[in-house]
This record gives sequence, structure tokens and C-alpha cells, in this order.
Amino acid sequence: MPDPLDALRLPVVPVEPRPAFAAALLRQISGAGEPAAGQPATARYFVTDLDAAVTFYRDLLGFEEELRSSPAFAMLYRGDLRLLLSVPGRAGGGDVLPDGSVPAPGGWNRIALRVPDLDTAVADLRRQGARFRTGIIAGIAVRHALLHDPAGNLVELFEPAPGYHERTPESAS
Amino acid sequence: MATVRYIVNDVDASLAFYREHLAFREVMHPAPQFALLVRDDLRLAIVSPVDAGHPGGGSRPMPDGTRQEPGGWNRFALEVDDLDGTVDRLAAAGVTFRSGIIDGVGGRQALVQDPSGNLIELFQPTIPQAHERAAFEERHQQ
Repeated sequence: MPDPLDALRLPVVPVEPRPAFAAALLRQISGAGEPAAGQPATARYFVTDLDAAVTFYRDLLGFEEELRSSPAFAMLYRGDLRLLLSVPGRAGGGDVLPDGSVPAPGGWNRIALRVPDLDTAVADLRRQGARFRTGIIAGIAVRHALLHDPAGNLVELFEPAPGYHERTPESAS
Repeated sequence: MATVRYIVNDVDASLAFYREHLAFREVMHPAPQFALLVRDDLRLAIVSPVDAGHPGGGSRPMPDGTRQEPGGWNRFALEVDDLDGTVDRLAAAGVTFRSGIIDGVGGRQALVQDPSGNLIELFQPTIPQAHERAAFEERHQQ
């Protein structure tokens, strides 16, 4: 005969150690180092040559290839940025719109990647054959440069300057 | 934190749009030509085109004189749980859409236009691999 109290007993949940999570939590509590990984953000770029684009973002800018589910779509990660690459006119985010218009690369809107040392980053990338739209531009609180990907999309590389806004627990609330 | 820069015609109008309709929070708006917004882990800098001598560097003309402009197809995407509901709510609030709902391989999407015509993708994943957090969390558990 089953014990009538069984219904009240909680199942035993196995505890899996998660060293990475524990380390991140410890860093957060002690206020040291980089904040724990937050949520990812997603951007979509249109590229005409998927292989060339994946090679560019992976080899020159440190993205990791997560998924290439078709010849017309790739998903890459760099830290907490997820970059989707879609080929115009093809299924995989580049679909022709109902009104017949077809997405295309280009435009001025862009992702901005923080680099620790802009001068070195620009020099390294130039040495590897990357094309820049500009030299280094000094603005308020950042210095930046605009890089072209193989399809002509812009990528902003920036380095904080005095006055740069760092996200703090108060500003993140 | 990931950062995206959008060029807009009118920073005040865009700031109001992103706050009211897409739940961005204003971090700073220190000059008429610049504002910084945050939504989850996306930092959005919106800037309006300035002249070559302007101290703000993000939207100056290129050295060859070419001015930066809003538009294009590249965009950031916001993951939503209920695309139909979100589209209905935004449409009722007067937001302009570039497209109806488009069914794709990994999900469904609709393209919102900001006041300058920049696109924002609302994306509802329909397969596990398309979720924004899926691969990310796996990565950070290693």
C-alpha cells in the first residue's frame, strides 16, 4: 500500500554544478572584473556573398560561427552580440517583401564594436587587407573608425575616451 | 553590451518613438543631435547628421563630403513572444510597418519603421535554434 504522505514529498532534484555561473556570480558580488554576461542583442546584415562575409566577421573581427543553416543564412556571435547574415532575395531573412522590394546591403546604420585599442585594431585590420570608410574620428567620449565588410556594410570600431558612459547598476535598472 | 548606431532625422522624435513604442529607456540626451537608449542588453545610439566641424563624431560627413543618412535594410531585431499581438498593439498605436508578417525558416518577422524610416525587426522564433538566448546561454555555461 502506498504511503499517503508520498503526495506531499518533493521529488529529488539533482544539483548540477555550474562553475561558470558561480564564477560570474562571485565576480558580481565582489564587484570585480567584467559584469556577468547579460542578454544578447541581435542585428541583421545583408550580404551578397555569404562565405566572404562569414570569413570577414570570423577571421578579422573575432565573431564565432554558430550556425550556417543554408547557403543564404548564417548566425554569428561576438560576446553578447548576435549577428545574422542574410543573402538578399533568398529565404533566411532576406526574403523578398510582399510588395516586391528586395533587401540590400549598405546604409549608414551599423553595429558598433568596442575595441581596447583603436589604433592597434585599425593598423592590424589594414595590414590584413580590410577596407576602411574613414580614418580615426575623434568625437565626444569616443574615438571611432568605420570599416567596410565585403558587401559594403559599415562596422563601427570604437574606443572609449574621457566622458564615455559606462553602464552601471544604477543606469541598468 | 552590444551597441548599434542609427542615423535619424530628428533625435527628439525618434527618442519618443523608441521609448513609447519599443520600451527603450533613455540613458542620456546631452545634445540635440545625440541620444543614448538601452533596452535589455542592446545599447542604441541615435544621432542626426551634423556638419563637419561639429564636435560629435558619430554622424559627421565623410572626408569626401558624403553625408550620413537614415535608412537601408540592416537593422537590429527584437525578439517577441507574440508577434501577432505585438503587431496589433503597435499598429493600433499608429506605428508604421514596412511589411506584414513574413514567415521565414527559423521564425516569423515584421518590419517596423521608425520616424526616419529606419527598420526594426520584430522576430518570433519558431525553432529552438532561432532563440536569441539559446546559443548564448550555452556558450556562457562553459
